[in-house]
Amino acid sequence: MALDRPLEILAVCGVGMGTSLMLKMTAEDALRGLGVEARVENTDVSTARGMSPDVVIGQGMHTSEIGDLAPIVITISDFLDKDGLQAQLRERLAEKGWLS
Amino acid sequence: MTVVTAADGVTADGWREAVVRAAEGLVEAGAAGPGYPEACVRVVEENGPYIVLAKGLALVHARPEEGGLAVGVGATRLAAPVEFGHPDNDPVDLLLAFCTPDPDAHVGTLSALARALSAGLADRLRAASGPDGLEHALKEALPDA
Repeated sequence: MALDRPLEILAVCGVGMGTSLMLKMTAEDALRGLGVEARVENTDVSTARGMSPDVVIGQGMHTSEIGDLAPIVITISDFLDKDGLQAQLRERLAEKGWLS
Repeated sequence: MTVVTAADGVTADGWREAVVRAAEGLVEAGAAGPGYPEACVRVVEENGPYIVLAKGLALVHARPEEGGLAVGVGATRLAAPVEFGHPDNDPVDLLLAFCTPDPDAHVGTLSALARALSAGLADRLRAASGPDGLEHALKEALPDA
């Protein structure tokens, strides 16, 4: 079922201010390309545990720790790979019916 | 105003030394305190090699309270690449170190850096000639440097 609100997306990393900020920028670009309305935040893994986003994106070493945090968990290794992230987002959001 | 530094042909025996050398440039430029390089090493020890955010490229940083005095970005090109133990992005030949005095001051600089990296900055840094070339390529990418 389509959401009637912007998607809440969380980019995670270890410290929550450098690497995850890079990932946030990549994710915003990727989502813009998909025409998805979303709010992207970035934070560290510990803080992420207290949050309940729709989508979590991070490196495997972090998403493996917080795999049950969100309905969609996306693991990527290249934080600058917009096309790769966009392909994963397209597939996973479509599965949930969250692509308009 | 962003402090920019660059070092080329840096030799490092392993990722720890590479991280320290990359962050030392920020200390020498007065953008970070003396404890910052070791704090950057601890970030990797405690959280894993996630700072290797793309193939061959590490974003060296620690929290502002570890000694960030100004917003600074330093490019370091290694003489020989090192392994961080990253599952996909090893080995690393290029390190970008940054520091910030508080959790918000760096957002504009880092956003510009992210855009520039998406537009091929890492390749331009790898192709740059010497430390001056590195510094020039980095300054081009950062609007307030």
